[in-house]
Amino acid sequence: MPSAIEVHGLTKHFGSVHAVEDLSFEVDTGRVTGFLGPNGSGKTTTLRMLLGLVAITSGTATFGGRTYEKLHKPTHHVGAVLEATSFHPSRRAEDHLKMVAIGAGIPLSRVDQTLELVGLSDVARRRVGKFSLGMRQRLQLATALLGDPEILILDEPANGLDPQGIQWLRTFIRYQASIGRSILVSSHLLSEMEETVDDVVIVSEGRLVLQTTLADLAGRAGTSNGMRVRSPEIGRLIEILTATQVGYRPTAPDTIAIDGATPEWLGPVLAQNQIVVYELIHDRGSLEDVFLNLTQGFASTFPATAGAGAGPGTSHAGPTPMPGGVS
Amino acid sequence: MIAIVRSEWLKLRTTAVPWVLAGIALLINGLFILVIFLTHNGGAGRGGQGGGGFASSGDTIPHTTQQLRNLLGSGFQGYLFALLLGVLCITAEFRHKTVTTTFLITPVRPVMVAGKLITAAIGGAVLAIIMLVSTLVGGGLALVGRGGSFSALLHQVPAVAPGMILVFILFAILGVGIGSLLTNQVAAIVVTLGWFVILEGILVSLVNGAAKWVPTGAAEAAANLTRNRGDFSLFLFNWWQGTLLMLAYGLVFALVGSIILTRRDIT
Repeated sequence: MPSAIEVHGLTKHFGSVHAVEDLSFEVDTGRVTGFLGPNGSGKTTTLRMLLGLVAITSGTATFGGRTYEKLHKPTHHVGAVLEATSFHPSRRAEDHLKMVAIGAGIPLSRVDQTLELVGLSDVARRRVGKFSLGMRQRLQLATALLGDPEILILDEPANGLDPQGIQWLRTFIRYQASIGRSILVSSHLLSEMEETVDDVVIVSEGRLVLQTTLADLAGRAGTSNGMRVRSPEIGRLIEILTATQVGYRPTAPDTIAIDGATPEWLGPVLAQNQIVVYELIHDRGSLEDVFLNLTQGFASTFPATAGAGAGPGTSHAGPTPMPGGVS
Repeated sequence: MIAIVRSEWLKLRTTAVPWVLAGIALLINGLFILVIFLTHNGGAGRGGQGGGGFASSGDTIPHTTQQLRNLLGSGFQGYLFALLLGVLCITAEFRHKTVTTTFLITPVRPVMVAGKLITAAIGGAVLAIIMLVSTLVGGGLALVGRGGSFSALLHQVPAVAPGMILVFILFAILGVGIGSLLTNQVAAIVVTLGWFVILEGILVSLVNGAAKWVPTGAAEAAANLTRNRGDFSLFLFNWWQGTLLMLAYGLVFALVGSIILTRRDIT
């Protein structure tokens, strides 16, 4: 399948700050690609380089081999949602879209169509200054869709949305992909996007960490980290484990964790010995854990998260310079 | 380019800024007209009796060609608002970050600046026409109310209007030039007003012969397109030289601004 977006060796230095460093990835046609990384990992800078808003230090960022500036009528090919603040507050929503449509040579009939598509028809004549953040995001999406582009670039579109808004956004993105659009959507939370994306491009500190499919990432996450058992007869279970030389860690007076154990192994052991169980928990790494592990080594700005149920031995996050602490 | 200018025109029209600017310009124009009539009345009225609305003989109202032209040209002061219109139509985009959307539509940035130059020029011309029409209505009513001749005022339109429209266009273009160089709205307004209200006057009074070279002098010369104000003209270029000089200021600023903008990261 041909690539909708190609990024090769992309680099951006702001003075001595290396925002993006030798980044390469591709976005396949007709798929939703999640562009993931912690805050400050260069996602926005990368997207803005793609769109010709930020000058490239070196490397290339192209759509079917052409840079954004070289595209004929770019808004007919690429629709972008960047930040929720880029509206004039005293301009009406409808006028904002008309202004874009006229400037980009898009028929004015698209204005009403896109307003309807994002559910803003009722407030079309309202001034954008009176819009909520969620409404602004929708208006941004309407702006991006005006030219009926085959590629959508969305920078943190879920920021500031309430849970219903995020649910709406997911449905919206899946729908756009189902009608053949290629979508690159950035987020600092994988959990926000894991029901939406097909592929992931994970970056940290401006460098590529991993490009793969969501299925592959889920495979890495699915491996069992162990079992936890809460039982009034925890002493008997410990005797059995000690006898069979299986390691365990007590996590509470009546609870132990057995690292590496699977339900298929532990279930029969409990049944054969007729041990009463109050609670049985399968500790499995979530996608978010995998994501954090992948980006943690790089992300010095992230405070080390208190890992609930994460595997052992990941708690030392390297020499992390903490800036002065909170005062 | 036509699409860009149409889009820019809609952009201008759909925010409060041009309406507020035009409103203030009209208000000031009204005051100027009032002052013209009051000062005319003042000379004769002082000797007049109480309730002296009847002192409407020839020399208490503007009636000479020069007086009528001055009345019709009372809106000339609005050039400052044409200038601000030009400045704001580019700096407002940076202030409200709408420039991101603008550059997505028009990725080649000098093209965007060119679109704004044309749009602001049209806006400047429209503002000049608004000032002229409002003067014809307000000044005309006052004139007729005091027994003057409206047609005499109307007669001076060909002598005043073209120069005034030209000057407003030139100032709007200069405004876009300044705005493209100084995209920070506050800085651009402070520098613009600082120059035209204070610094330029100081420079002209200190440096001999500077009057013809500064923007206001060049614009003053351009205003002589259709009328010749002999007294001032001695120190100024002729109208087309003034026009070219004003255009040069505006376009050189816009060109340098475009080059800087092209290299600039929009974050």
